[in-house]
Amino acid sequence: MTRSAWWRRFSVRGVFWRQGLRFAILNVPPWIEPMVMAFWSAFFLLWGPGRRGVMSNLKVIKPGSFSIVNFFRCYRVFWNYAWTIADNVRFKERRIIPDWEFAGWNHFQAMQASNGAILLTAHMGSYDLGAHLFSETSTRRIVMVRAPEEDLETRAFEENHGAEGLRIEFNTRATELAFDLLDTVREGAIVAIQGDRVMGSISTLPATFFGKPSNVPAGPFALAMAARVPIYPVFVVRMGRRRYRVITSRPIEITRSRDRDDDFARAVAQWMTELEDVVRGRWYQWFTFEPHWPEAAA
Amino acid sequence: MNIVTDRPDARWLPSRHRFALARLIAYAKLRGSRVGEKNAEHLILPIDRDQTAAEMNGIATWIFATTVCYTAAMLPLIWPAAIVAAIPIAAIALHFPMVVIGPIVRMLIGDGDHIKIISVITMSLLVIASSYVAMSNSWSRYVAWFFFAVLIVNVAAAVVVWLLRGQIRAAEERCAR
Repeated sequence: MTRSAWWRRFSVRGVFWRQGLRFAILNVPPWIEPMVMAFWSAFFLLWGPGRRGVMSNLKVIKPGSFSIVNFFRCYRVFWNYAWTIADNVRFKERRIIPDWEFAGWNHFQAMQASNGAILLTAHMGSYDLGAHLFSETSTRRIVMVRAPEEDLETRAFEENHGAEGLRIEFNTRATELAFDLLDTVREGAIVAIQGDRVMGSISTLPATFFGKPSNVPAGPFALAMAARVPIYPVFVVRMGRRRYRVITSRPIEITRSRDRDDDFARAVAQWMTELEDVVRGRWYQWFTFEPHWPEAAA
Repeated sequence: MNIVTDRPDARWLPSRHRFALARLIAYAKLRGSRVGEKNAEHLILPIDRDQTAAEMNGIATWIFATTVCYTAAMLPLIWPAAIVAAIPIAAIALHFPMVVIGPIVRMLIGDGDHIKIISVITMSLLVIASSYVAMSNSWSRYVAWFFFAVLIVNVAAAVVVWLLRGQIRAAEERCAR
């Protein structure tokens, strides 16, 4: 291993922190855990790009807000992120689940009963933990699509410490994955995709988010149209220590007409309304550490 | 892991609390709670001893504040400055049992869940530190006395919980049925 490769493990996305988190989950007494969380959330404020990314997004979500206030809000984002990733690792390592509350239970049940559906979610709360829970409680097969870890060692670590029963696909091999997922949905499975931000070179659809132009991944909408299945917006939000709420909104139906762009635009607009509502109310759980609107950051 | 569904009053199951005092309070709340007060359409509550936020956050805050006071009393500064300086020092000091003893335990008994043993060691270190501070002439001795007072109340609560064990089990079974 070269010296730079060795040092890379200590970068913010490096494997060292994943190993540290696992160690903490297996060694920190729960009655001291909130203090440990508070300390490490403050420590990670030293991560300049992440902090600046969150603060620039907060500037758009909360127009006219002061930077100093957004700095403390950024701490709240890091604090919530620390708890959600800890709860996820706790489930993987110790099989301890948090309290779950459901809102929009009728929509959630309809999704479970449907013959194939797209579960569209965001980088909010514990989406990983939610997917694992659904995979264990649902009668439907769940396939989660996500961006892979950038760091190879971290990716290997996550693969070795993943929970059983959940199939995870990475969105790097776009074309072949699209056909795989189409078959999967047609077989009646639920495909969970994050639809709030675009990572890498995947195809996108134009959207308006908090009054500013934005892009969302085209994949879930194209898949729903091709498979003729509904999209269910589902958000897993953290309500407190080891307590989450699953919010399921009314489904987005993509009807085919002659104007394909218009069909997509209507679906995207409905998704953005749902997403904006949730992010506005729970900005402290939108875990987007890169500037979502780069022009606002500039 | 056992779970209870659609019973909001199950939040107060004594089995969802760790320390005897919290268990006793939970039992009193469980007896007083009404079935049907529900603010979610569907609810899944796991039964795990460390599930309750109020108990764990409260204890973490108390332990941290106690450690800050002990540290501040040792610093050669006027007390407001000592308190400010003690906050980061105490936060780092409280990591000691995990960061230093954790790897030793791991080396001795292998990789896995060591929370119970680290918990006992951490609490023992706090008792040793509190005994030392309680016998000193520093202002922080009152904090140490309070620490021991809480421990004594918890022991008394443990006795009451033990005496009520049959009733607690019956109440839990009624709720979790």
